Amino acid sequence: MPVVELSYSRLQKLIGKVSKKQISESLPFLGLDVESEDKDLVRVEYSPNRPDYSTDFGIALGLQGLLGIKTGSLKIKIKNSKEYKINVNSKVTKIRPFVTGIIAKNGKIDDKIIKQFMTMQEDLHFGIGRKRKKSSIGIHDLDKICFPLSYTTTNRNHKFVPLNSNKESTISDILQNTEVGQEYGNILANASQVPIIIDSNNQTVSFPPIVNAAVTTVTTKTKNLFVEVTGISKEDAENMLSIVATILQAAGFALTSTNIYGAKNSSPKFESRKISINPQLINASLGLELKIVKIVSSLKQSRLDASITGKNIVCTIPPYRFDIFGPMDIVEEVALGYGIENLDPILSQSETLGTLHPISSQLKTLSLVMVGLGYLEGLNSSLTSKKILYEMTNRESNNPIAVLNSKSQEHTILRDSILPGLLENISRNIHESYPQKLFETGTIFLKNKPINEKTNFAAVCAHKEANFTEIKSILQAVLKTGFNLEIETKTSNHETFENGRAASILVNGKRIGVIGEINSKTIENYKIRVPVVGFEISLSGLIFD
Amino acid sequence: MSQVFHEIEKKIISVLKIESKLTPEKLEKITQLSPDQIRRGIEWLKLKELATVNETKNIIFSLGKNGIESLRKGLPERRLLDLIKKNPMDISELQKQLGPIFGPAMGLAKKNNWLESAEGKIFLKNYPSIIPGEKTLQQIGQDSVPETKIDKIDLASLSKRPDFLIEHIIKNREISLTENAQNLDFTNSDSSAIDVEAKVPEIYVARTHPLKDTIDEIREIFVTLGFTEILGNMTQPSFWNFDALFTPQDHPARELQDTFYLDGLSSKKIGTAEQIRNVSKYHKKGWRYHWDINEARKMVLRTHTTCITIKHLAEIKPDEARVFSLGRVFRNEKVSYKHLVEFNQIEGVVVGANANLRNLMGIQREFYRRIGITKIKFWPTFFPYTEPSLQTMVFNERLGKWVELFGMGIFRPEVTKPLGIKKPVLAWGGGIERIAMLKYGLDDVREFYNNNLGWLRSVTKCQ
Repeated sequence: MPVVELSYSRLQKLIGKVSKKQISESLPFLGLDVESEDKDLVRVEYSPNRPDYSTDFGIALGLQGLLGIKTGSLKIKIKNSKEYKINVNSKVTKIRPFVTGIIAKNGKIDDKIIKQFMTMQEDLHFGIGRKRKKSSIGIHDLDKICFPLSYTTTNRNHKFVPLNSNKESTISDILQNTEVGQEYGNILANASQVPIIIDSNNQTVSFPPIVNAAVTTVTTKTKNLFVEVTGISKEDAENMLSIVATILQAAGFALTSTNIYGAKNSSPKFESRKISINPQLINASLGLELKIVKIVSSLKQSRLDASITGKNIVCTIPPYRFDIFGPMDIVEEVALGYGIENLDPILSQSETLGTLHPISSQLKTLSLVMVGLGYLEGLNSSLTSKKILYEMTNRESNNPIAVLNSKSQEHTILRDSILPGLLENISRNIHESYPQKLFETGTIFLKNKPINEKTNFAAVCAHKEANFTEIKSILQAVLKTGFNLEIETKTSNHETFENGRAASILVNGKRIGVIGEINSKTIENYKIRVPVVGFEISLSGLIFD
Repeated sequence: MSQVFHEIEKKIISVLKIESKLTPEKLEKITQLSPDQIRRGIEWLKLKELATVNETKNIIFSLGKNGIESLRKGLPERRLLDLIKKNPMDISELQKQLGPIFGPAMGLAKKNNWLESAEGKIFLKNYPSIIPGEKTLQQIGQDSVPETKIDKIDLASLSKRPDFLIEHIIKNREISLTENAQNLDFTNSDSSAIDVEAKVPEIYVARTHPLKDTIDEIREIFVTLGFTEILGNMTQPSFWNFDALFTPQDHPARELQDTFYLDGLSSKKIGTAEQIRNVSKYHKKGWRYHWDINEARKMVLRTHTTCITIKHLAEIKPDEARVFSLGRVFRNEKVSYKHLVEFNQIEGVVVGANANLRNLMGIQREFYRRIGITKIKFWPTFFPYTEPSLQTMVFNERLGKWVELFGMGIFRPEVTKPLGIKKPVLAWGGGIERIAMLKYGLDDVREFYNNNLGWLRSVTKCQ
């Protein structure tokens, strides 16, 4: 989850009359989890569906509503102008077809605001921008650019001075030798032509989605901004722009429109949407009996607009709230505006009788019988390593099921047997007193169109006198007492067991597992100092399907 | 200190009251107890500070192979001198007669100026009446003699010679009573009493796993709240783990670094044609991207048990139901004290025409009450497949802060509609280990899977 750093004193200025305590107590009810707090600074996690919370400006808007200081939706005011044109060349269609933009004037920019803008940009790129693939933003100093602009393509020998540099580089150079180039270059694949925004003086403004030109860098001296968003879907690009426009307006900038032409591109409209909802759905979903006026005021506290039309409520959604899909999202907005803390839990009578799954009941029986026989229950991961599963127990690794890109070397393949894990457990307890008796029931995984999952049961017993007879008695007892099954054992060799001290286990003539004395090679591998005996059987097909 | 005495202790004490100091062997003879009983009795009395053991060390000498030969034939130098006493002899003849002792004998005799040599012959010069060492040989003879009874200087001249002497070190233990024991009187004590205050050996119970106990407890709670358990596979096609839950295919949670994909494994049959068609339609409409069925076929280790309940609901399409699923789920994370790659999760749903958010909160509150957590509150949160979405915060008394437990919400229409589920579905779920950590007071979640016998054998069962 993305994190944003806030300052209580800055929030107080943005929100209006409010105490630090009120802010601190309200943050969770906007869905913001406080991660850490240090005097004036507080770091909060916000949900990726609310990119408007990527800056303190957006969070201030939400808190104003929740605290009843300012309610209803924030209207985006945009002055129409013909001055800022962007012509789109159809050459971009195949690579990154859409551009959109906005002009923001007469703002005050300090270091803190630049920091907020940068985290907003990063979060938007990562989340809704899908690591810049879907859409990406460039924020520029308007006064360094000569309109009209051209959104077109260029070849990889095109040169300009990229952001945070003072010398000219070619596109190829940037892609190969800069951090951003290496990280995002794959979005452009191997295309010979790459997107570029050029101004009327033929000066490069931006090389989307990789890097801006150095010349348009925003500093504390910048007064006026030009923001462009490029992307593969017009709607997604405009959604992202609407977040930035809302934030800029909240930060005190005056917005002016851009005019975009060519190759199926057009100027952004920042239109609100209307969703009609029956108040009954709201009350039924929340378990409340709210009057229509209360629903309307709750929606306004969630910074939406709402009006009553007949029996329905028509909710007006500002463009930056594109996380709202339909009526159920409106239900949530009502709940938030009404206050989650005001919802009283109620326990309704169940109309149904509950039951355990038969497998759970049978495994519980098995556990109880094993405990009665003096065995302690162990628990191991299903995701384990080749070393434990095969190497230490001398088993052949027969095409195991592996996971991709595991962050842990100890968790790379799915177990096809439980016994090896229990032997490893014994090896880690050699300093504990003997006898040591462990059992485990759990899932094993076998490749079979694509995977067959079975429930197995294994036990091990380690002490100076441990022998075949002892462990066979245990297995015999548990299957007889637990499930009224009789076992037979037939001589058979197995990699983990000592030859001549191992057997197949049969029930009604069907092989269900293996039992015996663990061979000296395995015991030496694990540096265990006492004999170990054990068994493993498959319960699937034996006591349940 | 217990004043109950074992018969063995009583016997030893009464003998020592008379004899004052005895070796264990003598105690054996007098008391008629076995060596082992005496050993144990002495240990007990020592622990009770009723007896002291005084250890002394004695050295005893006997003759070695060469010593015995010298006792019989005389010391090598004496034998040499005896040979030349009457007549001088040739060196070669002497070598022949004396064998290997000739060299050392010559050396000693020359050094002491007992002989001289000229023209290949050896002549006697002086004949000593006693040679150092001879006295010791006689003193020891065929016996074992304590060091204290032997002339130390004479002994030293033999101890340098190889195989002349054998040294035995004998440790002597003598037991005596302390003052407290002297005053003991056994005449009134009950002879069948045992020391009931003494420590006893530790034995370890066999038991079910502590985490399994918590799992069973949680299962039972939901069964009694009217929920029926369903089970399903841990390996799932992405379709049920993600797509059916309205998680877009380019969502960060679906990336390799968060989810375990199974190398090279895809599922041919992931759902009915209708399910696939409808799910893809809602994805295209809601998220505006090219929905790829091959992405949906990729097999993953389930990241939650919600895939089991949604698949169940899609099959049964109930108008009224309470079901839950509990089992292992997987996340591609770095293992730490608070994260495991594999842990247990419970996920439950209520389907019903009248199901609402306050009911859902009520079920949560009742569940927490039954596992002993009463300080809870609800905060809004976000899940891709529920709307509205809440999370329960519970107050951890030990850490003194609110911690997040189960998440919950109402399944989005984008989840239920494509699968033909018509009534509202309340869903909730969360990790079991977090609750178990609260119950067992653990700070490191890995302890549950370490199978450390020290912990498993000692932790108090709590249900």
